[in-house]
Amino acid sequence: MSAPFNNMVIPPRLLSVDELFGHRSLRDYLKKVETEYSDCLRALNRGAVEEEVEEQPSCSEDELRAKRSKVSQLAPLVQSIRELEAKSQELAETEVLLKDEDPALRELAELERDGCLQDIQDLRQKVLDQLIPEEEADLSDLILEVTAGVGGQEAMLFTDEVFDMYHGFAQHHGWSFDVLEHVTSEIGGLRHASASISGPQSYKRMKFEAGVHRVQRVPKTEKQSRMHTSTMTVAVLPQPTEISFTINPKDLRIDTMRASGAGGQHVNTTDSAVRIVHLPTGVVAECQQERSQLKNKEKAMKALRAKLYGMKLEEETSKRYNQRKVQIGTRGRSEKIRTYNFAQDRITDHRISMTVHDVRGFLLGEELLDEMNCSLQEFSNQETLMELLGDNDQDQEAS
Amino acid sequence: MWRRSFSAGYRCLGRRRIGPKGTWASRAARACSVPASPAGGISALQALDVWEELFEERGVSEPKHSADHIVAHLLGAKTRESLGRRNLTEILSRERTEQLWELCTRRLSRMPVQYVIEQWDFRDLTLKMRPPVFIPRPETEELVELVLMDLEKTCGQAEEGADAPLTCLEVGCGSGAISLSLLSSLPQLKAIALDRSQDAVDLTRENASSLGLQDRLQIYHIDVMKDPEAVLRLCSPVSALVSNPPYLFSEDMLSLEPEILRFEDPSALDGGQDGLDVIRQILTMAPKVLSDHGRAYLEVDPRHPRLIRRWVEANVEELRYVETRHDITGRPRFCILQKRDIRKGP
Repeated sequence: MSAPFNNMVIPPRLLSVDELFGHRSLRDYLKKVETEYSDCLRALNRGAVEEEVEEQPSCSEDELRAKRSKVSQLAPLVQSIRELEAKSQELAETEVLLKDEDPALRELAELERDGCLQDIQDLRQKVLDQLIPEEEADLSDLILEVTAGVGGQEAMLFTDEVFDMYHGFAQHHGWSFDVLEHVTSEIGGLRHASASISGPQSYKRMKFEAGVHRVQRVPKTEKQSRMHTSTMTVAVLPQPTEISFTINPKDLRIDTMRASGAGGQHVNTTDSAVRIVHLPTGVVAECQQERSQLKNKEKAMKALRAKLYGMKLEEETSKRYNQRKVQIGTRGRSEKIRTYNFAQDRITDHRISMTVHDVRGFLLGEELLDEMNCSLQEFSNQETLMELLGDNDQDQEAS
Repeated sequence: MWRRSFSAGYRCLGRRRIGPKGTWASRAARACSVPASPAGGISALQALDVWEELFEERGVSEPKHSADHIVAHLLGAKTRESLGRRNLTEILSRERTEQLWELCTRRLSRMPVQYVIEQWDFRDLTLKMRPPVFIPRPETEELVELVLMDLEKTCGQAEEGADAPLTCLEVGCGSGAISLSLLSSLPQLKAIALDRSQDAVDLTRENASSLGLQDRLQIYHIDVMKDPEAVLRLCSPVSALVSNPPYLFSEDMLSLEPEILRFEDPSALDGGQDGLDVIRQILTMAPKVLSDHGRAYLEVDPRHPRLIRRWVEANVEELRYVETRHDITGRPRFCILQKRDIRKGP
């Protein structure tokens, strides 16, 4: 048995909204946000007045621009905080009425209180959601890559099933699933494959699927009914836009079947596969999904861009995510995130110690996978929040 | 199970005669013993194995790709890779199996896959294919790209409000791939296409209809070698002249693979002794059909660009050789020339 997958002895727990709001550090943080917002507004107003009366400005143009940007960034959150405060006030007033002599009034107050409590819950959730900063990549589409790991044919068969699972997941969410590469094995199964997935929140959700997936079952070819463990790796690369990432055509070598012989009218082939090598890094992408060579080239370029962009991002973000349990990024790539045990019919995600049953159902890529994925998101959000609050606490102690 | 019955069962009868194009295949197929389609159920995956092996045994080129494309097409997909695991492992119906056997048998006669499944993709389009009309090659996708880049620039530079009629002329349209791609990408373009083959004219017309582009495309049955004046009578000056003319050297015709030799129209391939017969004719005609500063775009043999440049400089004063562009494999493949107004100078 391998070493434990994380250092925590106690399995992580998803705190409820109420519990989170019970934390002093959260309340402190929200106060800090409000204060920062007001300070910025005050500075901007002062700046406007100074300009009118042509006084010497107390803030530089750059500082003012930064404050303007801060104000528009914080405005939605501050709005929600204020709404929450207003509702809490309303609740306090309603609770006074609960002690009133008039039973009709008491009944009305109870209804109002229930409504208030619900609104407060909703607003608290809204505040929490707004506190989590959105990653730039969260808005993008993605390239999904699957690669068979340890375990020979079993690993390749499992890779095929996992690829199918994500195809189902994409359909479940109404995302497009466009296969770019698909390399099968002669003995059956999938060596590696990649697909371009696009649709709302696709990267945001799929990023939690990256890592090593493990399967434990008795292979079909196994004669002595021994249990085998095999692995496969899932990589999720955000798809960059044209502007944010460009590749120099001179850095590319493009290989096709047409390269041998005279090409052109001399030859008729149906092998329109295209392979592109990025010479400076040695990164390769290929595609034979289409009958048109041009389309294969476009898809291979898409896959290549995502790989190169992924490499660039890894450099930038590997430091940031080191402390987290729900890993997304470099360390996540080699970390065993999930085990699919057929004999016991269970799937366990090791990052959040969550177990669900019905492996066949899970592999359809529908509700069961979705539930687990949502839980991962919630945990990740919580971790981000804790980090935010933790940083804030440290800042406060330091000052 | 299938493999044994095939090896035991079939025998190929000697050399076959070469008959009229298109009909040769069916006669030969009956002459050569082909395994009967299986009585019991067979999955697509099993069928792929069977036919890949058979193609290989019979020396059919690209055995794996051939089987993959035919099976995929039958199951409604473009390639084997886009078929899910479930499609591949499901047992095929009796009808499907028979259709598959029929199609693969055609391939045994070296009929190109594109003719077997009667379609192929070109850029974003799926076009009908039919022997002996020339099957578009991947290089030609790049030719269209070159023309599009220039035409798009022209559209961009056109004055606002001015009715800028954009027309192009294609010589030797074949299945219509080039003209239809251009029309499909440029809604304001009108095109005129010619071919000396009635079969090509008919097929281009069919493809145009299927794609809903027939209103912007005029197609004529004209042989530029025999009747160049007919071209001049057709149309007012065009912005672009495009062609993938027959450019093979006559001596190269003999070494062509059976797929081409037995099934594609030789007049779509044979460019004469130096491969330039039709090209010279087109370039001679070009200044008369092109508008001022209009461009001619040709796909040629890699040996041609140098020769064409020299010939044009010596023989066609009104054409300026602009540049040679290379294809995806790095071969010099495309010639771009421009009509210059000799009164005004270069």
